[in-house]
Amino acid sequence: MIRHALARLRALVRRDAIAGEIREELQIHVAMRAEDLERQGLSPVDARRQAARRFGNLSVIQDRGYDVRGGGIMETIVQDLRYSLRLFAAQRAFSVVAVLTLAIGVGLSTALFSVIHAAVIRPLPYAAPEQLVRVDVQVPQTGGDIFGLAPSLVDVRTWREDQRVFRHVAVDRGEYNLIVDSGEAERLTVHRVSEGFFDVFDVRPFRGRAFTAEDTRPGTPLVVLLGHSYWRARFGADETMLGRQIRVAGESATIVGILPAGFHPLVSVWQPYPREIVPETMRGSGAPVVARLQPGLSREQAEKNLSQIVGAFDDAQGKKAGTTVRLESLYDEAVAGTGPMVGTLSGAVAAILLIACVNVAGLLLARGATRQRELAIRASIGAGRTRLIRQLLTESVVLAAAGGLAGVLLAWVALDALVAIVPLSLPANVSVSLNIQVLVFAAVVAFSTSLIFGLVPALRLSGVTVSTALSGADRRSGAALPRRSGQWLIAAEVALGVVLLAGAGLMIRSFARLVSVNLGYEPESFLTLQVAPLDPSPAVAAQYYPALVATIRQLPDVEVAGASDQLPIGGRRRAGFVKLADQPAIRIDEREVLPGFFEAIGLPLKQGRFLTDADLAAGKSVVVINEMTARKVFGTVSPVGRLLPVEDRQPEVVGVVGDFLQDGARSPVRANVYFPYAGMDSTERRPLVVFVRPRGAAPGLPVRLRDVAQGIGTRVLVDRIWSGEDFVSESVTVPRRRMVLLGLLAGVGLLLTVVGIFSMTAYAVARRTREIGVRIAFGADKPDVVRAMVHDAIWPMALGLVAGAGGAFFATRVIASLLFQTTPHDPVALAAALGTLAVSAIVAAWIPARRAALVDPVVALRTD
Amino acid sequence: MSKTNSDQLHGTLDMLVLKVLEDGPLHGYAIALRLERVSKQVLQVEEGSLYPALYRMESRGWLSSEWSATDTGRRARFYRLTRRGRAQLAAERESWLRLTLAVQAVMRS
Repeated sequence: MIRHALARLRALVRRDAIAGEIREELQIHVAMRAEDLERQGLSPVDARRQAARRFGNLSVIQDRGYDVRGGGIMETIVQDLRYSLRLFAAQRAFSVVAVLTLAIGVGLSTALFSVIHAAVIRPLPYAAPEQLVRVDVQVPQTGGDIFGLAPSLVDVRTWREDQRVFRHVAVDRGEYNLIVDSGEAERLTVHRVSEGFFDVFDVRPFRGRAFTAEDTRPGTPLVVLLGHSYWRARFGADETMLGRQIRVAGESATIVGILPAGFHPLVSVWQPYPREIVPETMRGSGAPVVARLQPGLSREQAEKNLSQIVGAFDDAQGKKAGTTVRLESLYDEAVAGTGPMVGTLSGAVAAILLIACVNVAGLLLARGATRQRELAIRASIGAGRTRLIRQLLTESVVLAAAGGLAGVLLAWVALDALVAIVPLSLPANVSVSLNIQVLVFAAVVAFSTSLIFGLVPALRLSGVTVSTALSGADRRSGAALPRRSGQWLIAAEVALGVVLLAGAGLMIRSFARLVSVNLGYEPESFLTLQVAPLDPSPAVAAQYYPALVATIRQLPDVEVAGASDQLPIGGRRRAGFVKLADQPAIRIDEREVLPGFFEAIGLPLKQGRFLTDADLAAGKSVVVINEMTARKVFGTVSPVGRLLPVEDRQPEVVGVVGDFLQDGARSPVRANVYFPYAGMDSTERRPLVVFVRPRGAAPGLPVRLRDVAQGIGTRVLVDRIWSGEDFVSESVTVPRRRMVLLGLLAGVGLLLTVVGIFSMTAYAVARRTREIGVRIAFGADKPDVVRAMVHDAIWPMALGLVAGAGGAFFATRVIASLLFQTTPHDPVALAAALGTLAVSAIVAAWIPARRAALVDPVVALRTD
Repeated sequence: MSKTNSDQLHGTLDMLVLKVLEDGPLHGYAIALRLERVSKQVLQVEEGSLYPALYRMESRGWLSSEWSATDTGRRARFYRLTRRGRAQLAAERESWLRLTLAVQAVMRS
């Protein structure tokens, strides 16, 4: 088999040699026969003649021989390829448009597929990801409720020793932004995990060792592991860093290991958990647990076994029975909520890909119409139908290969930009790349589209009868068949374009609503300064912040300044409970503020007064609450002057301020209680955020704030100086990305549609030059001719608009859950989409149609 | 000519060529002469059709060929039976015998 193929390949190279050899052999045969006949008494001339007659048609036999010995199918393919390439080179405009169209379709879908691949198909880049689970205990409460809580440290230890259910189990305390000082202080992501964490993910340190149980005990010296990318960037991949010291949140730490590349690339430092005294047997202390199941164990079986283990343990401890264990696969967790966006993106990309296909099919069809003559001639000199189809398909495959290659190149170039705007929360530990699956996807897309858009024109064109094509009959009639197909293609493109534009329009409308929501404060009128002393002790902070705020207030272009322990948007909340006699506890959020905070962010005072420096100085037990808290706790009674029983304290309410949307436009109003700074006992003193309301424009203020923050006395790290609007803008990042990405896709779709309509009309005009010439010769008005050409494109456009409106009506339901205060059937968005498309489509048809008016009847009628 | 007939003719020609080459290598014209002696039928239409058949059998690996000199010192391409060719000949001979025996049995009954 292989030898055979090799022989054929060789034959390809030595074509002429083989043909010559065959000819020589046949001629020898005829010569020998002639000699024999001569010997039998014939004249030399007669002998030759009879020998030749008896042999048969030498040329035909030579060809048949060559068919057997020559290059065969391989040679035909090479011929077809050569021919296709020559053809594409000759028709440069066609080739460029077709390849670019395909490249856009393939490139976009490939790039988005790689993103979706990372987000949904393989969000957990670990061995056997299906064994990875998050573990919760389900604790029944009096009253029938069941609380899902994090397991206790003792639970984890029990399961780890038991070994029947989990191969590895660990506590994942999560990420902190801490000040790390390795010669230069910077705020970095520090991830706190228990021993066994890396084993759960089947990851071993690149250098050094992982955490041991000993490392996690309270009172042991701090050891840390470095993330690979941090180690490379900060220390230039210096291996001697092992054993060296850095400071993490003010504490000296020894580097004992470095993690492999690609594992949680955004985490700089890993720190053992807990290393402090925590309630070891208490469930729900807030540290999530991850685990890897023993191979072959189903989640249901594992849950049952774990529940038994927990039951036996609780029994022995004399605890209440009924606690069970629930496992959630980390995969489900990773892809939760991505459905609508993935669906929308896939739909949009499929629409673009379809438009690209329709374009190329239209181009091939239009070009094919002008090639009927050539095909007919080839058929008449002996090319079979299969041979013609093969030729046309080869052209499609060449096109697909070129378009696919260009598409992959495009995807490669555009990938980073796309990842930057893709509105999916990509798992932090996944990097998006053009991997082998993605490339296979690109190849499948390119070649299947080539088959779809190549086969139909090929079948149609190859069926052309020799006589009609050569007589030119179809030229006079304007090639009825491709013309109608072209109109269907226009209708399809317009419909798809409408759906894409409608989707984008909805995103824009939704985004406009989102950013116009009144948040309850004035984000446009303040700056924030995030700064923290390098020394993490509470005493330093308690001195630093009031001094800093006092200094800032002295600046000439500062109207008012205050501070709070929370960012305007985002950040961790600190939950507390207000307990009134004979009432269920009311959940509130506790905040610590330095006076001036309310005035700085523009939170309106509703009753009583704001907090003052005097409150702080006197250490008074007072609070300000928001309206939501007032309503929940005190109902209609005025709260000012009353005591608020929060946790185990009884501060006096001195004022009520307005509500605000803590986490941006989509968040609910929460019940807030504002304590004067340091007026609240807390084990965890967090850095404050300083809020400054400038007087007027105050252009140089941020720089001055940085200087002031560093000049107070203690060494500090200034993280960032953001305006309130920066936070708002960041809080709508995902919706904005949705809008940008869908707008981008719709724009590309519109562009391709316009190109498609343009090229199809242009070809129609070119093909009907003769007819137009006749019309003009008979006195037709030139504008009439243009109108007639445009008219041909009008009804498919109208059909496309109607179909598109219908399609959009259903398709936009997919994105309903992504919209903010906007219905998926928003008439403005749909009308805008229809209008934009109609206008662009008519312009796209009109420009080439105008050329029809320029036809010179004399020239037109003279063309064959 | 129907397909079956054509196949039968091919098959017969192949078998005869193999048989003719059993005794040693021959060039194309010599094969044609031997075949002529056996039957005027096989190459009745045109002698040239022998060559595509030779090439086909060569590509199947039944024959091998090389350029060599004839007795009269002329250059010609000689065909030789390969091992697979011999096996093919044996198989064809057997099926042929089986067929003729069957036909004989019918005719005699």
